[in-house]
Amino acid sequence: MTAQEVRLCGLLLQEHFGEMVEKVGTHLLKSGAQNLRMILHETGISLDLLKKSLCVLVQHGACVFSSGRKGPGSPTEYRTSCDRILRILRYPRYIYTAKTLYGDTGELIIEELLQRGHMTMSSTVKTVADRLTQNMEDGRSMDYNDVSNSFSNLVETHFLQRCPPPPRAGPKESATPAPPPVPGTPTPPISTALPTAESFPECYKVPHVTLIGRGKRPLSSEDVDDQRNAKKAKMDSETHGDEGICWQVNFERFHLHFRDQAIISAVANKLDQTSSEIVRTMLRMSEVTTSPSATCTKPLSANEIFRSLPTNYNIARPILDQYLTLLVDDPMEFVGKAGESGGGMYVVNMHRALANLARATLESVVQERFGSRSARIFRLLLRKRHLEQKQVEDFAMIPAKEAKDMLYSLLSQNLVQLQEVPKTPDYAPSRTFYLYTVNQLPTARMLLQNCYKTVANLIERRLYESKESKRLLEKSQRIEAILASLQASGAEPEQLTEVEEMITAPEKQQLDALRLHINKLDSAENQVDETIFLIESYVNSTTTTS
Amino acid sequence: MKGSDNQEKLVYQVIEDAGNKGIWSRDIRFKSNLPLTEVNKILKNLESKKLIKAVKSVAASKKKVYMLYNIQPDRSVTGGAWYSDQDFESEFVEVLNQQCFKFLQSKAEAAKDSKQSPMIQRNSSLATSHEVWKYICELGISKVDLSMDDIETILNTLIYDGKVELTVIAAKEGTVGSVDGQMKLYRGVNAVLLPTGMVRTPCGLCPVFDDCQEGGEISPSNCIYMTEWLDF
Repeated sequence: MTAQEVRLCGLLLQEHFGEMVEKVGTHLLKSGAQNLRMILHETGISLDLLKKSLCVLVQHGACVFSSGRKGPGSPTEYRTSCDRILRILRYPRYIYTAKTLYGDTGELIIEELLQRGHMTMSSTVKTVADRLTQNMEDGRSMDYNDVSNSFSNLVETHFLQRCPPPPRAGPKESATPAPPPVPGTPTPPISTALPTAESFPECYKVPHVTLIGRGKRPLSSEDVDDQRNAKKAKMDSETHGDEGICWQVNFERFHLHFRDQAIISAVANKLDQTSSEIVRTMLRMSEVTTSPSATCTKPLSANEIFRSLPTNYNIARPILDQYLTLLVDDPMEFVGKAGESGGGMYVVNMHRALANLARATLESVVQERFGSRSARIFRLLLRKRHLEQKQVEDFAMIPAKEAKDMLYSLLSQNLVQLQEVPKTPDYAPSRTFYLYTVNQLPTARMLLQNCYKTVANLIERRLYESKESKRLLEKSQRIEAILASLQASGAEPEQLTEVEEMITAPEKQQLDALRLHINKLDSAENQVDETIFLIESYVNSTTTTS
Repeated sequence: MKGSDNQEKLVYQVIEDAGNKGIWSRDIRFKSNLPLTEVNKILKNLESKKLIKAVKSVAASKKKVYMLYNIQPDRSVTGGAWYSDQDFESEFVEVLNQQCFKFLQSKAEAAKDSKQSPMIQRNSSLATSHEVWKYICELGISKVDLSMDDIETILNTLIYDGKVELTVIAAKEGTVGSVDGQMKLYRGVNAVLLPTGMVRTPCGLCPVFDDCQEGGEISPSNCIYMTEWLDF
């Protein structure tokens, strides 16, 4: 929970949920687990607003509550974690992935679930069907069955999972707020450890839902009001057999998918398209058999790979063997050989691949920031581990003065460290070796913190730009509203042009420039998030193995 | 050698023994057991008679080593092919670097276009250090004769640039270019990753990144780099 992470979480919470939630969230991040009275006392927000903010945080999974440290009788404590809040940054990527894999229906399902946090299947299906129907032509509407099928597909491939049941609240009801708004949840037994979604045995079982109907269009204002009310009452009283079962997005599964994508594109860049297709096939075959934190996939025989290749890639069996041998021989070590049975057993080395990708990221940062000769020194130190100053100059073939300069600037930015090896027991400077070295893991962590700071800077700049042009934005919004109402009531073209001309040309230019700036800042946030994902995966992979 | 006395003869002998590495004046004093002033006088004498010469060492530029007049200084003193008159020839190294890379890259492209089986493609994109050496010699861009070791140091810098990969294979003694029963093969490679997202933002390259604070003098709201980048 570093300062940069807390700052970024604060900005994200403020943008998505408002100031009150941000205050509560950052307070909980900084102070760890606390019960309601403490939070009330320290933040000074009214109890009502505090309860609502906590509800919002719990609904989105950012805050978890459990019985207190002093035992089952003490008031429940709430704690938040940075990780969940930082995922908000990645929402666009999740939605885009769902769109590429499952089309518009999948995209809208994931979008709805990300916005609401937890939702039952029936309400999701209804909302998505309504939204799809809105965008279709008149007279057509989306059937609930299609949406339910998409939903089931998403659950089968583990992109969605059931929410874990909350731990039972303690007997002191007065000090605790209401449990999260999940209708009709039965009270499960008390457990001291917080159950994760995966520990719940039925987390991927689709409930039997009776959903018959089609999406409804939003009714236009010409309809009679009481007709609408009657319809609404009838809809609400229907039950669909899945009350109390809420679903949430399974972020880990998306992360596995992103990781696979990164490995495949790295292979495509380094070798060629066919090799990347082979690696894609191997990863697809091991999707469900490999645990998320495994070092490498289960061994796959060359025969299996040959059978599972996509049909439009008809390469001969000996050619496949050659490609696999080349993949194994590559210094990047994406694929390894694990045995000879079945025509050769091959594994994809996840952790090795992530480490190599993280190393390439570090090298690219050094290259862009300090120049290609400094990047040469950096790569040299990564390969040779420890080198003296003279040796660095000789190996890199850079003149002594320049090499010294570059090494010192890398050292001042902490990308390179100095290791002292004394020749004598007193650390006399003239009699010690000073060796330069690069440690990949601490450097990666440092870069990760820099990335968080960068994203926070970009968000702040975006808010600043909007604030500066607030007057202009409000004016353009008012004019758009006037235009819309005039068009709806059927005005003449002259009136419309008169209203449009209320915005002068330089103001229009300013507005366009503002739009461009905000789009640029937005896309930059997404790009930095890609770097964050790679380095986070690498750091997490090292902590699980060590 | 007529007209020189025993002391001079002794100093001359010491310098001759040093061969082509030369010897420092203090070492001459130790070996001949003569006082400093005597040694200096004798050295000046010998130099004016054009029997010895002084060569500046490239490692420590203030140090002068003495050797016989007609001997070529050793590589460790002059720095070898990369130094001309005590200056590191960085442009020369750069040119050689680029030429070697172009040679390996064109070989890799030719192999890729040949559309044969992947193993053959890979093998034909490999070049031994001997081949690269021959190519550079034929190009004739070097005034100094370059040995295969020199070319290998250049190829190593290409490896550290991330543009070239090295494989070592066992080779029969006697095949062209093999050293100690092994051959070094090089091939050009593509980058594994495009420049990462972080460096596409101004913050990734900002020199004052650590000083940037919201509300401070340098902050995201008034960052000049961001303003320039947004208007790009």
